[in-house]
Amino acid sequence: MGESSLLWLRVAAGLYSLGLIDAIVTVLRRRESLFKTALGAFGLGAIFQLVSIVEQGLVQHHFPANDFFEVMSLCAWLVTMAFLGIYWRYKAESFSVFVFPLVFVMTLVAALSNPVSRWPSEAVRNTWLIVHIVLALLGYAALLFTAVAAVAYLLQERELKRKQPRSFHRIFPPLGMLDELISRSLAAGFVFITVSIIIIIIWAANSYGARWVDNGLISTSCITWGIYLALIFFRVSAGWRGRKAAIMSIVALCCSAVTWIAHFRLESHLQ
Amino acid sequence: MKLLLAGISHKTAPVHMREKLAVAENVLPDALHELQNLGASEAMILSTCNRVEFALTAPDHEQPAAVIDKFLSAWKGSPGAFDGHLYRLESREAIQHLFRVAASLDSMVVGEPQILGQLKNAYAIARNEGTVGGLLEQVMTRAFSVAKRVRTETGIGQMAVSVSYAAVELARRIFGSLNGHSVMIIGSGKMGELAAKHLHRSGAKRILVTNRTWERAQEMAAAFKGQAVEYSQFTTVLPEVDIVIASSGAPHYILHPAEMQRVIAVRRNKPMFLIDIAVPRNIDPAVNDVENVFLYDVDDLESVVNENIKERTRQAEQAEGIVREEVERMLARLKMEEVTPTIVSLQEQLENIRAAEMARSLRKLPQLTPEQHALVAAQMEAMTRSIVNKIAHGPISALRGNVGQPEGEHFLKAVRKVFHLQE
Repeated sequence: MGESSLLWLRVAAGLYSLGLIDAIVTVLRRRESLFKTALGAFGLGAIFQLVSIVEQGLVQHHFPANDFFEVMSLCAWLVTMAFLGIYWRYKAESFSVFVFPLVFVMTLVAALSNPVSRWPSEAVRNTWLIVHIVLALLGYAALLFTAVAAVAYLLQERELKRKQPRSFHRIFPPLGMLDELISRSLAAGFVFITVSIIIIIIWAANSYGARWVDNGLISTSCITWGIYLALIFFRVSAGWRGRKAAIMSIVALCCSAVTWIAHFRLESHLQ
Repeated sequence: MKLLLAGISHKTAPVHMREKLAVAENVLPDALHELQNLGASEAMILSTCNRVEFALTAPDHEQPAAVIDKFLSAWKGSPGAFDGHLYRLESREAIQHLFRVAASLDSMVVGEPQILGQLKNAYAIARNEGTVGGLLEQVMTRAFSVAKRVRTETGIGQMAVSVSYAAVELARRIFGSLNGHSVMIIGSGKMGELAAKHLHRSGAKRILVTNRTWERAQEMAAAFKGQAVEYSQFTTVLPEVDIVIASSGAPHYILHPAEMQRVIAVRRNKPMFLIDIAVPRNIDPAVNDVENVFLYDVDDLESVVNENIKERTRQAEQAEGIVREEVERMLARLKMEEVTPTIVSLQEQLENIRAAEMARSLRKLPQLTPEQHALVAAQMEAMTRSIVNKIAHGPISALRGNVGQPEGEHFLKAVRKVFHLQE
C-alpha cells in the first residue's frame, strides 16, 4: 500500500477508535455517552478512508482490492457507509455497538500492511505480549464467571417456570441479580478481550510484517472476538437477556476456550 | 431457686379463654409487682393474642405454683376458671418451653418472627420494672441466643406460608430487591389487594390499578398512592409494569400469549411476573411459555406454600434438636453454678489448713539462718500445695462430673459434711 494512502488509512483508524471507545462505554454503562462525537469522527474517518482507497487505486492503476489488506480496508469502508446510510434512514443507533468496534479493527488490520516500526528491543516485544496475555486471561476469567452465573440462571429460571421450586433453588441468587451479573461480567470480558485482540494484532504485525495474516491462531482469535462482538450486539441492541443471554454467554465461553487453547500453542510456537 | 412457667396458648385454650387471662400492657408493671409481692423473686409476663404466660422464679422455700394461684385469684377471679387449659411447667420443661417459644417452634405458624419481638418486649418491660435479674434473666438471655441460632442455622423463617407472602417471595426470586419495581392490579379481588399491599411494603413503589369500574380503580389507586388506568387501555401500559396481579371477575382470559409476546418485546425482554389469583382465571396458562414471563395462578401459589410448610416442618425438626441441645447446656451451666460455691469453700478450707500447718512447722525451726529458713519455706510451700491439690482433685472432679446427675445432690452434701464446709 502506498505511503500516502496508508497515512490516510491510519488517520481513519485513529478516528474510528473513538467509535470503539463509545461502544465500550455503552456496553459498560448502558447509556448514551459519546455517540454524537463518535459518529462525527466515524463520518470523518470514512472520508479519509475513501481518500486512501481512491489514492491507492490511482497509484496502482487498478481497483484497490488486490490483497488481503486492501480488501479489508474496502470492506471496512463499505460497512461504514452501510451503517451511516442505515443511521441516516432509521436512526438505528444501537447498531453502533457492533459496527464501531468491527470497523475499527478491520481498518486497523488494513493499516498494518506495513508495520509502523520494528520492536526497539526484545524486552518491549515481550512486555507487549505479556500485556496481551494478562488482558486475555482477565477476559477469560470474566467469561468463566459469566458462564457460571448463566448456568445458575438457567437452573433458577427452570425451577421458577416449573412452579415447583425445590430447596436448592434458594441457594442461587434471584434471576434479576444473576442477569445483572451476566451483563456486567460479559461487558468487562468484552473490553478486556477487545483490547487484548488489538494488542496482539499490532504485536503480530510488528513481529512478522505483512505475513502475520497467515497466522491461523491470530485469525482464530479474531473470529472468536467477532462472535463475542455479535453476542454483545444482541445483548445491547436486541435486548437479549434472561435465558437467551445465559445460553449466549455459555456459547461465548466455549468459543473463547478454543482461542485459549490456540494461545497456548502460539506461546509454545513463539518460544 | 425454682423456676415456673404457667400459662395458656392457642394450643390449650380457645380465644375467649386467652382473652380472659390476657394482661393489658398498661397494667403489666402492676401485675409484675403483684407477683413479686406474692412471693416471686423474679417475674415476667408474655401476653399476646396467641398466648398468655407467666414466668417466675421463687426461693426454695416458696411454692411458685401457689404464687400463680394467688395471683390468678386476685386478678382474674379464680384459678379454677382456667383448669384444663393452664399449663404449669417447672425447671427443665419451663426452660425448654421458653426456648421453643423464642425460636417460634410453639407458634401457630411455626417460624413466624413476631413472637421473638413480643418476647423481647415482655422481657424489656420486666427489666424496666426491676422484676428480672437472676435465674430468669439468665434463661431469657439464653432464649434470645437460641432463637438467633435457630434462625441462623435453619431456614425456618425464610419460607412464605401464605399465598400473598408466597407471591412476594417469588417476586424476590425473580427480581431480587423489589425497590423501584412497578405493580399493576387488575380487578378488585381481596387477595389481589392483599398481595399488592405486601409487594408495596416490600419496596414496589409504583402501583397501577385498573378496573372495569373507574371509580373503584381510583379508590384503590388512592389507597396505594398509585395511579388508576382505564380498563380499556391497560394493555398499552403493561410494558411499564414488572408485576401484574390479576384478580378481576372477568369470565374469560384477558391476557393471551400473543399479547404478552408483544409486551415482552417492547420491554426488551425484561422479565415479568404475573400472579393470577382470579377464579375463573384471567390469564391464559400458555402465557407461562413466553420467555421471561413467569405466571403463577392460585393453585401454583398454594403448592409453593404447601412445599414451604413441608420445608418448615423439616427445618423445625432440626430446630427442636438445637433447642434440646441448648436446654442441656443451660441446665449444666445452672448446675455448675450450684456446685461452684462448694468447690470454692473446699479450696479455701484446704488452703487455710495448709497455711496454718506450714506456719506451725516453720515456727519449730528457729535454729535456721534466714537463708535456710527461706529455702525450707519455699520447699514446704511447694510440697504442701502439691499435697493439697492432689487431695482436692478427687472431690472437685467428682463434684463437677456429677453435675446434673441424680446422685449429684447427695454427693454435694457428702463433700460438705466430710470437709466440714459451712452452708
